Amino acid sequence: MNEPPVLKVTGLKKSFPKRKKLFQPKAWHWAVDGVSFEVARGQTLALVGESGSGKTTVGLMLLGLLAPTGGEIEFEGKPLSHFTRAERFALRRRMQVVFQDPYASLNARMNIREAILEGMIVHGIGEGREEREDRARELLRQVSLPPEYLDRYPHEFSGGQRQRIAIARALSVEPTCIVLDEPTSALDVSVQSQVLNLLKQLQQDRGLTYLFITHNLEVVGYFADEVAVMEQGKIIEHGSVDAIFDTPQMPYTQKLLGAIPKVEVAF
Amino acid sequence: MSEPLLKVENLKTYFSMSHGVVRAVDGVSFEISRGKTLAIVGESGSGKSMTALSVLQLVPEPAGYIESGRIVYEGKDLLDLTWEQMRDLRGKEISMIFQEPMTSLNPVFTIGTQMIEAMTLHGTSRKEAKTRALELLRRVELKDPVQAMRQYPHELSGGMRQRVMIAMALSNEPKLLIADEPTTALDVTVQKQILELLVKLQQETGMAMLLITHDLGIVAQVAQDVVVMYAGKVVESATVQDLYTRPQHPYTKALFASLPSRQRRGQPLTTLEDAFAPISGDEPSQ
Repeated sequence: MNEPPVLKVTGLKKSFPKRKKLFQPKAWHWAVDGVSFEVARGQTLALVGESGSGKTTVGLMLLGLLAPTGGEIEFEGKPLSHFTRAERFALRRRMQVVFQDPYASLNARMNIREAILEGMIVHGIGEGREEREDRARELLRQVSLPPEYLDRYPHEFSGGQRQRIAIARALSVEPTCIVLDEPTSALDVSVQSQVLNLLKQLQQDRGLTYLFITHNLEVVGYFADEVAVMEQGKIIEHGSVDAIFDTPQMPYTQKLLGAIPKVEVAF
Repeated sequence: MSEPLLKVENLKTYFSMSHGVVRAVDGVSFEISRGKTLAIVGESGSGKSMTALSVLQLVPEPAGYIESGRIVYEGKDLLDLTWEQMRDLRGKEISMIFQEPMTSLNPVFTIGTQMIEAMTLHGTSRKEAKTRALELLRRVELKDPVQAMRQYPHELSGGMRQRVMIAMALSNEPKLLIADEPTTALDVTVQKQILELLVKLQQETGMAMLLITHDLGIVAQVAQDVVVMYAGKVVESATVQDLYTRPQHPYTKALFASLPSRQRRGQPLTTLEDAFAPISGDEPSQ
């Protein structure tokens, strides 16, 4: 039996109005212009591109935070457009997100306990407060933070610690798929390595499916299984990491790969 | 060898905070020769930017202050100069460009106005300044310099704005350019263009460069010498070639080992905790 892909996107489109001058007829900017891909369970697809390529817009549409202008998104074989209200609600539990800026993604007025418990309460995970708190402590342990941190507030933590809290929060509702939108771009390299190790470990332990949105090709080469290169709202090249890195077909992909600052001496 | 263009000796820049003194820069020394590039590499909070700001005496006052040390530029200690002498030196002898060009440009003036102001402040006539501004924008390879002069900063892309900043920094032909994370906010392909431009301009003008960065990849492309900073101190100082082939300090080694790459697929990356973990007596040998 072939399992349907966790995520299947067909001809996804999103346009935004652009108006140069007042009273000028509306024109449309196609931020995402017919994007299709699939991600199988336990796999990582990297969506790579430069600013303005539309990669984040794709992520936001998958999460239901932006309504697509056209196209279809299927989650575990079922199109989102056929989802009932209850299913749509449940989907928010199955699909989580970790954003780039851990300084912006945690509510400064909630302590870590509240932040992690919130999702569990909304989705009715765990029986009562005791059990949820136990789960929260266990989640902190899994992201290598001491359980005492539950009583602290986001401002007491460094960027790397916040990102781990954001990951614990995403995991609290037991998702199948996580959209990682530049999860390490705001972090120092030594902290980035901790977060990447953690994400890899969690993927192995829990069979998580990742959509990894990034502009960093070094991270992609290390982390992803497949790569889709985006330019101006379209996927221009899609393949395994080996295929994309060894035999890039499109000039834009070649240019991107050629622009990676190499950590080797040019003598 | 002649004397270095800039020689920083045992620089200490401290901040007095409510909970005590923070030693942001704690005894840093380095030299830059004429026409060469020195990179200061470090992570957030290592003190690399404060070192650069200290050279120009732009440390945020009153909390920050230069506690001690010498900053010898062309044989004279900059710390002995008056405020006015230092102001004349900034932008003329030593220029600086920053990470986010949008915050360094004034949003309500056109590029032309801002470039001309910078030059007239250092005693050039307006007419001359205008001709020179156009020429500079051409040198930083902006596609349409005449139009760029009339544009406001928000009308330009990030890469174009950084080119404008470089043009402004070069307007008085400085002998030293301090570049603090000049390409961090840019896409990789634009980053590559800007780095190539800086190297080209350096070859044309013979200026020296102090490059502040967290990216070891950029260092290899641009610099000849490297200083690695950690917690306000220099942990390693070497030529680029030595640092990349034979890093000495555990921190430097850990920095290299923590970089993700395709070659490291399937194995966990080194973290600083691994690198600094105490070595136990009965480590299994492999």
